[in-house]
Amino acid sequence: MFVYEKKLQYPVKISAINPRLASIIISQYGGPDGELGASLRYLSQRFSMPTPELKGLLTDIGTEELGHLEMIGAIVHQLTRSLTEEQIREKGFDTYFVDHTAGVFPQAASGFPWSTSSMQSKGDAIADLTEDMGAEQKARVTYDNILLLSDDPDVNDVIRFLREREIVHFQRFGEAMENLRQKLDEKNYYFYNPSLNLKQPRS
Amino acid sequence: MNDKNNAVQASQTGRGRLPDGAPLAMAYVPMQQSDPEQYAAGCALIKGTLFPGLDLPYMGVSNTKEKKPTLLHELQAMSFAIAELGLYLDTHPDDAEALQLYNQYAEQYAMVQQQAAQQGMALTQIESAACGSYGWLNGPWPWDYETEA
Repeated sequence: MFVYEKKLQYPVKISAINPRLASIIISQYGGPDGELGASLRYLSQRFSMPTPELKGLLTDIGTEELGHLEMIGAIVHQLTRSLTEEQIREKGFDTYFVDHTAGVFPQAASGFPWSTSSMQSKGDAIADLTEDMGAEQKARVTYDNILLLSDDPDVNDVIRFLREREIVHFQRFGEAMENLRQKLDEKNYYFYNPSLNLKQPRS
Repeated sequence: MNDKNNAVQASQTGRGRLPDGAPLAMAYVPMQQSDPEQYAAGCALIKGTLFPGLDLPYMGVSNTKEKKPTLLHELQAMSFAIAELGLYLDTHPDDAEALQLYNQYAEQYAMVQQQAAQQGMALTQIESAACGSYGWLNGPWPWDYETEA
């Protein structure tokens, strides 16, 4: 069950209107390494996690990612909250505007709509956690790239916060792997799938 | 002597523990040491982490200006410290000091939340309906741009 809290995890207050920057930031809403994919990845993978610690961690990080999705939506919304005719014609934003006006739509900066093909739920804790560590690194790089492309101090303040969260999540997924490893067959971690309740593998 | 101790501590803040003779064909991230050094909640919020050892900014640029001490920012700082310690406890469930700190922040959060609710700033629908009138629709929504927040 989820209950909405009427606050952002971190304040978003963007003074300047900048539709072109919004059309870059939108990638972290619905792009390949964005927050929608992150939250759905962890909140889906958690169902097959074998230990209480892993169920907890995936739930907690997945929930936090939903909060990040909301923050990115808030940035995009505030960057486009009042537009002049000149601004809607700006190259880079005009192609977004024709389809979505100033609505917030989950797509990559390239225009590709959000797709499950950028995430997995493999049903094997080692494989899923290894993907999660990679996913955090890819999201971190996207935020690095946004910091290179943006010179808006209000946006960058929020982006630096979100980028740091990726590093902390990477650390926690790595630690969770180690905690899981210590529970597995120490001679062969791949002896069986720890997420699959199949005690007698075929010979 | 103190300087030397500080230097040793600083160098260990970003260090963790790897298993001895780690088996092949597995990914390893060093475990963060128990009872790690922490920022205060207000500072942690702008840094994006409670832990100096994990604070690794891009091109060396980090946020330095703390948020104004409004009720909302206090709530955000408290709940961020709680969420951050929660993730730490998910992988370090036996760290008693971290658990104690978690409980301290949870208590502080409850106090600030109560204060906010009394001023009509309810965070949940159920809380806002309990105020006598239906206040859920009042006030700005979190994504609205506000000149004074």
